[in-house]
Amino acid sequence: MVNFFEKATDYTRNAISAGKYLLQGLAVTFDHMRRRPITVQYPYEKLIPSERYRGRIHYEFDKCIACEVCVRVCPINLPVVDWVMNKETKKKELRNYSIDFGVCIFCGNCVEYCPTNCLSMTEEYELAAFDRHSLNFDNVALGRLPTNVTTDPSVIALKELPYLPEGVMDPHELEEGSKRAGKLPSEVLTNKKDKAPIGEQKK
Amino acid sequence: MITTLNIVFVAVVNTGLDLEISFNHFLEGIGLPSSIAHLLWLPLPMLLVLSAALIGVLVTVWLERKISAAAQQRIGPEYAGALGILQPMADGLKLLVKEDIIPQKADSLLFTLGPVLVLIPVILSWLIVPFGQNLLISNVGIGIFLWIALSSIQPIGLLMSGYASNNKYSLLGGLRAAAQSISYEIPLALAVLAVVMMSNSLSTIDIVNQQNTAGFLSWNIFRQPIGFLIFWICALAECERLPFDLPEAEEELVAGYQTEYAGMKFALFYLGSYINLVLSSLLVSVLYLGGWGFPIPIELIANILGQSANDPIIQIITGSIGIMMTVFKTYLLVFLAILLRWTTPRVRIDQLLDLGWKFLLPISLVNLLFTAALKLAFPVAFGG
Amino acid sequence: MTIATSTELICFLILSSIIVGGGIGVVLIENIVYSAFLLGGVFMSVAGLYLLLNASFVAAAQVLVYVGAINVLILFAIMLVNKREPLKPIKGLKVRKFFSGCVCAGLLALLFRVDITTKWSTPGPQAIGEIATERIGEHLFTDYLLPFELASVLLLMAMIGAIVLARRDTRSIQLEEIDPVRENVIKSSNSNVLIDQSPD
Repeated sequence: MVNFFEKATDYTRNAISAGKYLLQGLAVTFDHMRRRPITVQYPYEKLIPSERYRGRIHYEFDKCIACEVCVRVCPINLPVVDWVMNKETKKKELRNYSIDFGVCIFCGNCVEYCPTNCLSMTEEYELAAFDRHSLNFDNVALGRLPTNVTTDPSVIALKELPYLPEGVMDPHELEEGSKRAGKLPSEVLTNKKDKAPIGEQKK
Repeated sequence: MITTLNIVFVAVVNTGLDLEISFNHFLEGIGLPSSIAHLLWLPLPMLLVLSAALIGVLVTVWLERKISAAAQQRIGPEYAGALGILQPMADGLKLLVKEDIIPQKADSLLFTLGPVLVLIPVILSWLIVPFGQNLLISNVGIGIFLWIALSSIQPIGLLMSGYASNNKYSLLGGLRAAAQSISYEIPLALAVLAVVMMSNSLSTIDIVNQQNTAGFLSWNIFRQPIGFLIFWICALAECERLPFDLPEAEEELVAGYQTEYAGMKFALFYLGSYINLVLSSLLVSVLYLGGWGFPIPIELIANILGQSANDPIIQIITGSIGIMMTVFKTYLLVFLAILLRWTTPRVRIDQLLDLGWKFLLPISLVNLLFTAALKLAFPVAFGG
Repeated sequence: MTIATSTELICFLILSSIIVGGGIGVVLIENIVYSAFLLGGVFMSVAGLYLLLNASFVAAAQVLVYVGAINVLILFAIMLVNKREPLKPIKGLKVRKFFSGCVCAGLLALLFRVDITTKWSTPGPQAIGEIATERIGEHLFTDYLLPFELASVLLLMAMIGAIVLARRDTRSIQLEEIDPVRENVIKSSNSNVLIDQSPD
């Protein structure tokens, strides 16, 4: 009999605690309703890509020396460097250069190894196309200047979370000139100068 | 014309907003025989309630999308009409013009009949939903029992469509749905029985009237808190809403018995589930939250303002407040259901049956016995 | 003839034709699932007949018990044992069919005889309508208390029997036969995993 009552009280306690947890969960859900949506209304608002974002590759035809380092460091030998040897000047003459962004994995190896810095990463990520062959960019398309989210008048540019001031979660209605949390790289450098590095003291 | 209007007005007032009599009076005033007037009246309330149910569903779908979005910090539908209010219409239109596919190896007769059998009992149940003293289609004596009986037809339609789809997910979903609604029907009926015992009547009108003697203090939720919880849990299970949406559990069963359905047949399922949700919320508000009753008795307010409660204007105001209160309470419960959807995870099938048979059934039996004892002990408070 | 009586007559004709047609279909159709669904239709039409007789409580009870419980149970049983293989041919099926047909025809003839010879009092007793629910309850708990209780005891016995048959204690036997590793798995599956029983 006592055992039965113990069981019954245990049962009731469990039921009540389950109800309590349920209410806690409901409170959490309810609390979320008054928060501002964190979604970005994409075609009208866009996030500013972060520093060192690896977007579409930009290429400067005139700087290129057709060394084919980019082809060698590419995991799939993707860039196509079309050159001919000019017998008179004994120099390579570049005719065409192309990268197929339908195949590229944006690893950035070519940019890293390019000896003349003619390749660079841009912030462009809107590469959707109706035909995948139209993603095969030739040197003209690659040389086109990248569009910028911040300069597009039809788009509201939003900062990503790490670029917001401390404690701010919402990129909307951010004050003009507000700084991100922590130091900028340039400030880190000036701080080092103030402290006078150890090497200089020895002098 | 003025005299006829006058007759209508008097009729409205005298019978406490009985629209049927006033409508018949009006037609007879024009010069139609009473039998024709009666025939003309017959389809009107049904059409009205059917359109009310459909509009209720549209609003519920919109609310569901908007509240879900808010709970997940999204925006939700925005561009179809102001605040996306036309989104459910757009959804319906899409389903309407979509190709109606019957799988080649499906049983086409049962496949078509299934969704119809799911939808019809739900719509029929609206017969007994009161929005005011005389604002319901039929005040049948068996009232709430009719709803319980009708809702037991639904599993047949679900089994039918599950079987006819010739798909293992559909069959499993149909079986689960039937098992679920059979097991949750019993505690549901027992919870209703406790309420019925207190009001001495199965009629929804009597149940509401019994609750509105002393404003919100006499609502059944205070006299039957456990019954309210049982009823709400069972209603969610009958509507197959989270946490009890096992029959259409996406991760396990694709979409359960709806897997093979597309176009208008799918829309029937969709409509049925949402009408059922609104209906369950309506019935919860009727059974436990005082139906059309205002939290403070209207008579009291009228007396304070120095107006007679039988005054025609007061009567009309009371009627409209009643409709508003019913709808308000209903949508509060719909809101709660949506909130629960995003709070609770889905239960497993064995947990579902355990909860139904080992928890809700004994508790609802105890609740019934307890109510009977209280009714004998305190006949004043628990309906002598 | 008024509108009400003619509507009643039409409804009666439709319902009874559904009942007769459905009943014949339940017996004769080869596909057992169709038979079960037709049975549901027959039950529904019987409920409709009760409604025509102004016995709404009985009609609702008919729907709840026969359609909602019994027919769903039959469908469940059929679908869980969903074998689509053709049945074995039975010896002398035609003779059997003939004999059962004879028995049925005899029963039908008997019923017709009863129908014709009995002096029906028309119109029958006045339907009490709305207060029928109370009257049924009253009768069940006074005049017909013994059969009511006996029926419920019978149902209880059937239920307990079904539970005993369904839950043979197979687990304890299995545990001895199964190797120790899987034994642990089975043991842990028996304990409650999800509900945290520890006090906060």
